[in-house]
Amino acid sequence: MSRKQLDRILLAVVALAAFGLPLVVTSPTYLQILILLFFYAYLTTAWNLVGGFAGVLPLGHSVFVGIGAYTSSILTLQYGVSPWIGMLVGGAIAAVIGVIIGLPTFRMRGAYFCLCTIAFAEGIRVMVENIDTLGPLKINGPRGLLVPLLKDPTFWDYQFMSKLPYYYIILVLLILVLAFTWFVSRSKIGYYLAAGGEEPDAAAALGINVANYKLFAMALSCFLTALAGTFYAQLMLYFYPKGLMGLDLSFEIAFIALIGGRGTIAGPVIGALLLRPLNEFTRIYLSDMLPGLHLVIFGLILILVMIYLPKGLTAPLAALYDRLARKITGQGAAK
Amino acid sequence: MTAVIQAALNGAMMGAMYGLTALGLTLIFGVMKVVNFAHGSLLMVGMFSAYWLIRLTGIHPYLALVIVPPVLFVFGYYLQDVVIKPVFKAEGQVREPLTVIIVTTGVWYVLDNLALMLFGAEYRTVRTAISNKSFALGEFIISIPKFSGFVVAVATAVGLALFMRKTKTGKALRATSLDREAANLMGINQYRIYNIAFGLGTAIAGIAGCVLIPFYYVYPSVGVVFDIRAFIIVVLGGLGSIPGALLGGLVIGLIESVFSQFMASTWTEAIIYAIFLIILFVKPSGFFGHKQDW
Repeated sequence: MSRKQLDRILLAVVALAAFGLPLVVTSPTYLQILILLFFYAYLTTAWNLVGGFAGVLPLGHSVFVGIGAYTSSILTLQYGVSPWIGMLVGGAIAAVIGVIIGLPTFRMRGAYFCLCTIAFAEGIRVMVENIDTLGPLKINGPRGLLVPLLKDPTFWDYQFMSKLPYYYIILVLLILVLAFTWFVSRSKIGYYLAAGGEEPDAAAALGINVANYKLFAMALSCFLTALAGTFYAQLMLYFYPKGLMGLDLSFEIAFIALIGGRGTIAGPVIGALLLRPLNEFTRIYLSDMLPGLHLVIFGLILILVMIYLPKGLTAPLAALYDRLARKITGQGAAK
Repeated sequence: MTAVIQAALNGAMMGAMYGLTALGLTLIFGVMKVVNFAHGSLLMVGMFSAYWLIRLTGIHPYLALVIVPPVLFVFGYYLQDVVIKPVFKAEGQVREPLTVIIVTTGVWYVLDNLALMLFGAEYRTVRTAISNKSFALGEFIISIPKFSGFVVAVATAVGLALFMRKTKTGKALRATSLDREAANLMGINQYRIYNIAFGLGTAIAGIAGCVLIPFYYVYPSVGVVFDIRAFIIVVLGGLGSIPGALLGGLVIGLIESVFSQFMASTWTEAIIYAIFLIILFVKPSGFFGHKQDW
């Protein structure tokens, strides 16, 4: 058995397991936890296109989740447009806004870019919180939007009686965004982005227009992030600016990527797989004991991982897999 | 008009507090090229230190000014040494290490939530002899604790500027901020300078904590209020600039206070963000920043 075959078999097993998981996990509560886990993995993978490959640290991506949720919900509530279409409209709007922010900011250095994305996201959140109606659009200020529960929802309504369809939608979205990331990372664009992230001056000297590739990555990332916003709105049927567009979500996306391993394909999934359950369980079991304890633990983990594994958890895991794979395939040394 | 001038006076005094917070942030950024996301939390630590010192010993609130800042200097010195330095070393000579930003965010989570565990979420104030005292300036009323805070903020900025110009350590700090590698070659220990810069920044957060406590509530996440404003102020004034931090603080305090006379305070917040973005796009180097910094 060659290494390539082993990789393929393993990938197939993981994919089959992910598709078969609802056969074992039937409780809606646990299914919901899995759905949110994939949701975060998806968001982080989308963020990774900019935050990982382009070597900048955007900390305002929650605003694009918000754009996705608001666009599709307003279109559904006020104009009767299917969320499936609203989702694409939201994505397009997010991509345009992403480019508008990216145009002036990508020329800035790290800290400025970081602060700028925070200020932008917080500014938008504060404005959404203060606007009740914008022209003909009902935004509802801090109260947020309620997507009405339908009696007999069809597929076209993007609303389902059981959790199962949500599970498969987010799973398919996650697989698509992962495949897409893989494709980008192997393409010319991916190499240009990496070059621009690591050595901007050298890349520019080679005649690569780094800013343009970053803009392209930003537009894609924002588009994909907004799709998740619509998914969230249809899953929860309720959202409000502070919960959906706050800095907490933006930071969590970045944390997942950094702990998993930014700039790698598996990093966001591994990060979400480890951090989300940890977050959920420590919150459930520890916050009764001592308020805040679970966030102290979270902060400590973040610090320790950054000190001892600055490249994230994917690097040591990949090395471990490499050793195992060599044993299984019986090849002594790497090629 | 009287109301607007009164608001402007109050805004200037509160702005001095923002400026004082930004002073520590700008010092750390100037030397280390790191945005310290834990800075608001360090201010919170300063406020709680002053709070407990005054509550438990009953000393005059301004006596805390000679005790809290040195303690916080030591705290900041070792915090940088133990937590931030290793990450810095791993990122090597990258000009603006980004992972370090995330580490300071981790410190923020830990400090804020430790305070929540220890002291609970309630808002606390110290009633001191001076808390409600004020004096009249013509037809305007000036609160004494706020005015003292203003004076201390200006004095701290002047003191820090003198320290940076006149002392050997200050010169080493400036040298490192200008060119890390060259400073290293001149025999300056880069990481010791970082310890000192972080310690000084934390000590300034301690000073702010001491002067805030007679008139401002302390609670575990109080730092967030000052954090975002401090970020905006350092960009407005120019990242790394001492007079810029103070001037930026005054401007933001004035805008906040005067605008809130005419509109809901949440809109004032939106205006501050908008101003921030406009400055970033038009003149990213701020009032006193260097062009190469952005």
